[in-house]
Amino acid sequence: MTQLAKSIPGREGSHRGASVRRFFGKAPCGWCIAWAPLLLTSVAQAQSPASWQWGAVLDVTHSTHSLAEGGRDRGLQLGHSDLMASGPVGSQLKAQVSAVFATHEGKLEKNIEEVWLETTRLPAGLQLRAGRFASQIGYLNQQHPHADDFVERPLLYRSFLGGHWNDDGLRVNWTAPTPFYLMLGAEVFGGKRLVEEAQEAAPRWGARTLSVKLGADFDRSNSWQLGWSQLYNRRQAVQEDHEEHEGEEGAHADHQQHGARFSGRRMSLVDLTWKWAPDGDGRHRQLRLGVEAAQISGIAGADEPGARHSAQAIALVWRWHSQWELGVRLDALRVRVAHEGELERAKLRERSLMLAYKPNHLQTVRLQYSSQGQAQGFDKPVRRALQIQYVLGFGAHPAHAY
Amino acid sequence: MPTRYFKRLAGAAMVAALCGAGPAAALTVFACEPEWAALTRVLWPEAKVHVATHVGQDPHHIEARPALIAQLRQADLVVCTGGELEAGWLPVLQQRAGNPRAQDVFFAADQVKLIDPQPSAVGSPWAGDVHAHGNPHVHLDPRNLLSVANALAARLLTVLPGQQAVLEQRRQAFAQRWSGLLAQWGAQAAPLRGKTVAVQHASFGYLWHWLGMRPVADLEPKPGMPPTPGHLQRLLETLKTQPPMAVVIAVHQDARAGRWLSGQLGAAVPILVLPATVAENADGAALERWMQTLVSSLLQAAGSR
Repeated sequence: MTQLAKSIPGREGSHRGASVRRFFGKAPCGWCIAWAPLLLTSVAQAQSPASWQWGAVLDVTHSTHSLAEGGRDRGLQLGHSDLMASGPVGSQLKAQVSAVFATHEGKLEKNIEEVWLETTRLPAGLQLRAGRFASQIGYLNQQHPHADDFVERPLLYRSFLGGHWNDDGLRVNWTAPTPFYLMLGAEVFGGKRLVEEAQEAAPRWGARTLSVKLGADFDRSNSWQLGWSQLYNRRQAVQEDHEEHEGEEGAHADHQQHGARFSGRRMSLVDLTWKWAPDGDGRHRQLRLGVEAAQISGIAGADEPGARHSAQAIALVWRWHSQWELGVRLDALRVRVAHEGELERAKLRERSLMLAYKPNHLQTVRLQYSSQGQAQGFDKPVRRALQIQYVLGFGAHPAHAY
Repeated sequence: MPTRYFKRLAGAAMVAALCGAGPAAALTVFACEPEWAALTRVLWPEAKVHVATHVGQDPHHIEARPALIAQLRQADLVVCTGGELEAGWLPVLQQRAGNPRAQDVFFAADQVKLIDPQPSAVGSPWAGDVHAHGNPHVHLDPRNLLSVANALAARLLTVLPGQQAVLEQRRQAFAQRWSGLLAQWGAQAAPLRGKTVAVQHASFGYLWHWLGMRPVADLEPKPGMPPTPGHLQRLLETLKTQPPMAVVIAVHQDARAGRWLSGQLGAAVPILVLPATVAENADGAALERWMQTLVSSLLQAAGSR
């Protein structure tokens, strides 16, 4: 912050600083701002113009109903749309910056979602990353939501990770020199974007994660990946009474978007991905199966030791033509909700069916039908919701991982 | 306390041993496409070569699978096409593999002049999958393999210090043999000069360029987009008056649209389904056989008219 402010003297400077702070949202990322001049210089100095890549993504949805715990408004909404740049910084580092724009309840929200530097040439399969970035826990969290197979993220992400958990921190990863894929990783984060309001003075590094990824080809047509991760959260959320919370619509929506709705001291996640394509040619036909499960323990205010939040998601997507995909997902959520000073059981189920048309790799039109049921403790489960989504990309966008 | 200390020490030693398993005694090469694996084997048959794709796959659309990350992690040298062909999957693999030796990739497309550059189409979502710098499928002009082999030999020398004599001798042997074959194929293919073909995608663009043939119709309405009925109908109307020598598609493409077009144009316009590359375990001899197959198939189609 100081570096940037110093370089812009006078009133204009403070004004500019304030707008930067607004743009970064509630949790200003000190180093992100400190790095901005460094990044800009390196962009200007980049030897080959092709090495830095720029891109933008527009994500627009229209929903007949807003799902309970959902991230999409009723009616027209600008979803997770971004502007991004990525490329090398010198010979040892790679950087990525992205700004996200989305509307929520009719208001445009801006956010710097990623500003990070990563090493590319450390020896022995080691990698360090610092800045603001998406945690690598779970399968979907690292992926930009506009690349998802469904209009809404699974209930697991919407309820436990605020949809998409980005935070300010550090990561160290090690990829093993094994004939199969084995990656061990650890992250430390401020945690302010996971649990926005902590109960007491929370530690500087409020959230830590451990991840293991394992994967290989089963044969030429089948490949798989298994992930296991742990999130240790030292920011205990301020306990809010469920009904009070439901009453304030605005605050409620805001909360959902940026922080976890349900949290605890420790979260365990397991994810399994399996992909099949005839003879490994996934262009024309492919079957993708994704299973994720999470459990949160150490819930604030829970006297019984076994009190847990848990969520599961299973998704199957079938590509039968290079431009067409059909998918189905089942979601389950069981949580403990504070209600009049006690923790009560609550649960919710969701089923989604989607049809996607992808004329090329930069465009997707998706129609999704979702239905929520078996609700207990959730006020507004939606029986039927139809959502239509259009995703349009411009320029280069880093490819998404397996 | 001492047991705990020893446990930690043993753990640290194990991690160090695993980390230290860097470049093995033998050279490990990660080749994005089988043709570059074959060319690597021509120059350094001792290498252990991982091939990321095969002839049945579209090299633009490859899943960044865990198995490929593991292969890239072990590589001492990465040999790929470049020209953005692997832009959708190679950077992800590089990022996940965390292998410093996999950062400076040898790109074949950097060694030759690309045909059909389209700088104006950059980044437009409506232009289709366009490669602004030009057609990346450079291996389909066999003359390019000479320039690529020369550059690859120089690059191999950087990871095989002290092997200059052997590498130079193999490079020369290949250059000599390949030059002879080029002359031979050139003579054989003389009747193909000026002939026209209907194609699907610019996969064989360099082959037409080399043989002096003309692709007069593309089954894809836009690069990377599958054929549509309307587009095929329009192609049929124009091609009826001046039928091409053949409809040519690659093994990894869906042949249905090409079959339909060939069927509509009658027996005089056969469909040729040609391999756009060699087998994954191919060597220099397989490269020769593959190029000979392409030339012979085209000659046969030309002769059937």
